[in-house]
Amino acid sequence: MAETPFKISIPQALLDRLQQKLALTTLPNELDGSGWDYGAPLADVKRLVARWMDGYDWRHHEAQLNQLPQFTRPISVDGHGTLDIHYIHRKSEVEGAIPLLFVHGWPGIFLEGSRIVPLLTAKLDDHPSFHVVVLSLPGFGFSEGAKKPGFNIAQYAEIGNKLMLALGYNEYVTQGGDWGLAVTRRIAQLYGGKHSKAWHTNMVFGEPPADFDPTTLTPEQQAALARTEGLMKKGMGYRHQQSTKPQTLAYAMTDSPVGLLAWIYEKLVAWTDRYNWTDIEVLTWISIFYFSREGPVGSFRIYYEAMGNETMAMQAFREAPAPEIPLGLSHFPGDLVVVPKSWSRMMGNVVFDSEVHDAGGHFPAYEQPEALAGDLRQMFGKGGPAYGVVPGKSGY
Amino acid sequence: MSETPFKISIPDAALQRLQTKLELTTLPDELDGAGWDYGAPLADVKRLVSRWTNGYDWRHHEAQLNASLQQFTRPIAVDGHGTLNIHYVHQRSEVTNAIPLLFVHGWPGSFIEARKILPLLTTNSANHPSFHVVTFSLPGYGFSEAASKPGFGIKQYAEVGHKLMLALGYNEYVTQGGDWGHVITRKIAQVYGGKYSKAWHTNMVMGQPPQGDDAQTELSDEDKQLLARREWHRKKGMGYMAEQSTQPQTLGYALTDSPVGLLAWIYEKLVNWTDNYPWEDDEILTWISIYYFSRAGPAASLRIYYEAMGPHKTDAERGFADGAAPEIPLGLSHFPQEIVALPRSWSRNLGNIVFEAEHDGGGHFAAYEKPNELVDDVRKMFGQNGPAFGVVAGKSGYSTEGKSGL
Repeated sequence: MAETPFKISIPQALLDRLQQKLALTTLPNELDGSGWDYGAPLADVKRLVARWMDGYDWRHHEAQLNQLPQFTRPISVDGHGTLDIHYIHRKSEVEGAIPLLFVHGWPGIFLEGSRIVPLLTAKLDDHPSFHVVVLSLPGFGFSEGAKKPGFNIAQYAEIGNKLMLALGYNEYVTQGGDWGLAVTRRIAQLYGGKHSKAWHTNMVFGEPPADFDPTTLTPEQQAALARTEGLMKKGMGYRHQQSTKPQTLAYAMTDSPVGLLAWIYEKLVAWTDRYNWTDIEVLTWISIFYFSREGPVGSFRIYYEAMGNETMAMQAFREAPAPEIPLGLSHFPGDLVVVPKSWSRMMGNVVFDSEVHDAGGHFPAYEQPEALAGDLRQMFGKGGPAYGVVPGKSGY
Repeated sequence: MSETPFKISIPDAALQRLQTKLELTTLPDELDGAGWDYGAPLADVKRLVSRWTNGYDWRHHEAQLNASLQQFTRPIAVDGHGTLNIHYVHQRSEVTNAIPLLFVHGWPGSFIEARKILPLLTTNSANHPSFHVVTFSLPGYGFSEAASKPGFGIKQYAEVGHKLMLALGYNEYVTQGGDWGHVITRKIAQVYGGKYSKAWHTNMVMGQPPQGDDAQTELSDEDKQLLARREWHRKKGMGYMAEQSTQPQTLGYALTDSPVGLLAWIYEKLVNWTDNYPWEDDEILTWISIYYFSRAGPAASLRIYYEAMGPHKTDAERGFADGAAPEIPLGLSHFPQEIVALPRSWSRNLGNIVFEAEHDGGGHFAAYEKPNELVDDVRKMFGQNGPAFGVVAGKSGYSTEGKSGL
């Protein structure tokens, strides 16, 4: 009915304007030997801009992205009218595959979830299969954004749930990190049991238990906590700005391709774990933000609506009771927050708790798709702790 | 001699490039009824961009700045950082024994902040003291060269200000500052106070909540209002500081490349930090243009935040409370819409307070918003019956009877 197949097709006028702006790029200088200390290094940004102007063919990458099965459909949200929502949807050939909703965060995009799609939908003897839906959050990618204030996590959750229902998945499971964690947790709170049957996240939080004895930390755990503290001290400016004055930031990010590039590139590098970004990859990722339906500002507002300037993670976990449906955790060593595994039990009804993977950061679906898919298969497969959570859709 | 007269003269090519960029401006949308909640409103920014593209005449304002402000440049050596070419305004009073005063701006200020107090401070009268006034563009701001390597912190900015005064023949002087100007003049007072800097005055009054018994004192209604504004700023207005003090380079690309991006970033503060100051569009645009056309570019102006407050600094340093309070006399001017305004009782430990004044209006940019009031305070502090009269030996601020001025 309402679903429309979607192909990304950026108007030539926008491509031309981007090139005009790139040709006029004015770069700052840089302090001698500053490395990454002050932000994205000049040499990197210079090189990326040069490539963007000459040697990066958007149409080629647009065509490649269009190999993903994309759609749009209108979804109504209480109090916010109807938004045109963009998503990837691939069904497995296994009819009883488990419906799974993947929700990205910031600066994530639908592209982030694209690599686990072929892995999860594959028909395999030993592993469960999934029907996979990758949502573009409102304001991101090619989804329409909210038009008025107050579009908060509950509204994003409403979109996710309604999308799954609209696709015929009355019962489903979810996977998410970053804002995807907040949204899928809200889905679990609001629709858990009835619709959402289990949730999985790769962004793991936790607080030390009341009787915590610091001397019990292993050297690895100490190092990880120190690293987390360092990242929090160094890397939260974007969040502070986006959660208090997203509009002020928006002018620069909308008007300046290099400005947007640096803002996001800094995170793509800082938040991944030994991931060898190619320039092409970075430029495709940034281009999606640049050409997104709502522009970059659409992606900032979730911070304002959901956070003020409070700490997202711990506040979310202290307010409202933890969801009851089964929860799976995947631990990746390079994520922003890495805590001892035992601390994260408070996140919910943890039934699956992976070992700490060898590699992977904040975007494991993109950086380590095999590892993440492997965890999901373990959690939901035969003999797994969440096997058969979706009645009649065991994955086999 | 090292001093060179300076006139701002932005090359035509730079003006042309700005024009071309402005014509390609791409604007974001805005949520319905967002007002100022989410940041600088779209209608304001649109109007300002439109004016900047069509109607705003930089050359006219450039000429006005050059006509009204006597500007110079000179090289100043900074330990460990080589020599920087410093841009400054120097206006002598006709009163020979006027008090040498160094005015230090902050962010997003510039030397332009002194343009209204300059003629007032230097004016000759039997009824109030007169000053020789110096204001410099902080390295990385206006037309001063920027530091080229890491580690150019508050101490270095203070060194520049101090050395400039000495170079101008002012072995003893007083200072006035707000924003980074407060922090830098505090450092001048700590490092060069007594021997060189003889007194300091600030309109950005910092402080700490009282401890122990004093903490029990109930807050007055005015105190509560001040704290409410401070809290509003802390909760809603410090994103810029968080980014500038941790990733100034990342932000720098956007502010360098996008005129509208720079405009909005600064405009938001010019409105939020002032007390209903009736900004005219051309005023805003001149203020922003100084950043846009600055010698080192806008990105350089952000680095002071990293150097002074970055992740590698201590909490005391980040609170500008490092080291002992300066001993030289201190004057405070309280303006109610100052963003860090706090109960007056909280600022007792700032230093050797000899002068204090309250005002009914005015915000963060006191010298620009309330020049008469600020100058009045400074005159009272240093004037004949004031608590800091004669702090600079032989420079009372008044004409000596029977002698003609030189």
